[in-house]
Amino acid sequence: MLKVDKLSAGYGNIQILWDVSLQVNKGEIVALIGGNGAGKSTLVRSITGLLGAYSGNIEFLDKKISGLEPYKIAELGLSHIPEGRRIFTEMSVRENLEMGAYPKNSWKNRKKTLSSVYEMFPRLKERERQLARTFSGGEQQMLAMGRGLMSLPKLCIIDEPSNGLAPKVVMEIFEIIKNMRAQGITILLIEQNVKQTLEISDRAYVLENGRIVMEGDCATCLASAHIKKAYLGL
Amino acid sequence: MALFLNIFIGGLLIGGIYSLVSMGLSLQYGVARVFNIAHGEFMMFGAFVTYWLQSLGVNPLIPTIVIAPLFFVVGFILYRTVFTGIRVRSPNPGVFESNGMLAAFGLYFIVQNIAVLIWGSTPYAFAYLNTSFGIGPSDFRVNRLVAAAFAVGIGLIFYLFLTSTRSGKAIRAAAQDSATAGLMGVDINFVLALCFGFGAAMAGIAGTLICICYPISTTMGLQYTVIATVIITLGGLGSIPGSFIGGLIIGIVYTAVNYWQPGLAVAACYVIFIILLLVRPKGIMGR
Repeated sequence: MLKVDKLSAGYGNIQILWDVSLQVNKGEIVALIGGNGAGKSTLVRSITGLLGAYSGNIEFLDKKISGLEPYKIAELGLSHIPEGRRIFTEMSVRENLEMGAYPKNSWKNRKKTLSSVYEMFPRLKERERQLARTFSGGEQQMLAMGRGLMSLPKLCIIDEPSNGLAPKVVMEIFEIIKNMRAQGITILLIEQNVKQTLEISDRAYVLENGRIVMEGDCATCLASAHIKKAYLGL
Repeated sequence: MALFLNIFIGGLLIGGIYSLVSMGLSLQYGVARVFNIAHGEFMMFGAFVTYWLQSLGVNPLIPTIVIAPLFFVVGFILYRTVFTGIRVRSPNPGVFESNGMLAAFGLYFIVQNIAVLIWGSTPYAFAYLNTSFGIGPSDFRVNRLVAAAFAVGIGLIFYLFLTSTRSGKAIRAAAQDSATAGLMGVDINFVLALCFGFGAAMAGIAGTLICICYPISTTMGLQYTVIATVIITLGGLGSIPGSFIGGLIIGIVYTAVNYWQPGLAVAACYVIFIILLLVRPKGIMGR
């Protein structure tokens, strides 16, 4: 579904990513893990069109998307639930969700999608008229995830969803991600919360210093001495 | 009492027009990130087009039907060509804002020189609904009431557009966080050009409204750009309700100072501006 091939990217003269290759197949949850500054955000920004690449190729649904503007990539059915939530704080909860359905195809179905998103997140329905800035961090993450579902995406990139949230809320977030996959959405999950992420994912890529240093199914990764030492503190 | 009413009601009436000019600049600067120094020149041009059409015997409110779409298209194309070009070539938003402002400076001279070439620099005026109506002990001109009502009406329609349509919501989302709006599927370059176009259209309509109340001249634009800058800073950059309320406040301040010492009215607005920058740069409705 998503194929990143030998991608190099960065900011000006500062190269961050070096020949990164990665693949996400239909129906999978693929984890991308790595520490701060490993280049996870740069990779995500390249995939969603916010950042141009130096070289390499990105394909989504067998269509080349590198070089396309973000809105065109969104229209193809790739949804990005960004790091730090990035909800529209001065809009109501309902308006935030409606913005998620902005691409023409999903806009037509927005009422129907809205009721199914409200079913998944009852708290959002209770507060649909409230301004999003009044929400707590956990609620904002729920809103960002609901918004990401409003476009009826084929692939969801979820960037650091558990960042800064209480353990109980983090559990809820991971339940929701499993639930999303059950609904047929393919997921690329970027996380620092390595153990929980590997437990719900099918395969994982480990990014260090802008290079993929390990890839494989999650059981293998969990068993690896390097992962245990560097990410699980065992 | 008469003095208070003169200042308060008179200020609200002129404030309506200020609000309209400022909403336009707020869209251009607050959302499209171009500090359009030529904003007042668009308004001046609208005023002169109105003057010219009424001299042919057209009711002076009719030209808005032509001015609004025409100025919208000019603004839209200008953004798509000049400002999008600068935006794409700028390494970061700061560079875009400063280069955009420099380009707008050029635009200011171009529009102004063309206007002087056509209409010279003497003031023009005509009488329209120049009768008065009384509120208590005070008298006001009917044309100013019509102009203020027109401006408020357009402000309300635009507010409804922003809050209840797909494009309007896209504009509000882009005003808050344009990168994230892009991730949601909003074509940012298109939406920013829409904002610039709407801003130009509002300036043009404001020109019509100025023209039916006050004498006009080809050099009047900059003063309105300055006042609008103060208002959008007061109201909070990019906030349409803020521009609206700010316009009414500055209208009253301007009228009060103008009554006492006409030469200091614009200066008084600037004093407010500087105090705001020091005390509350976000403005009253700012985030």
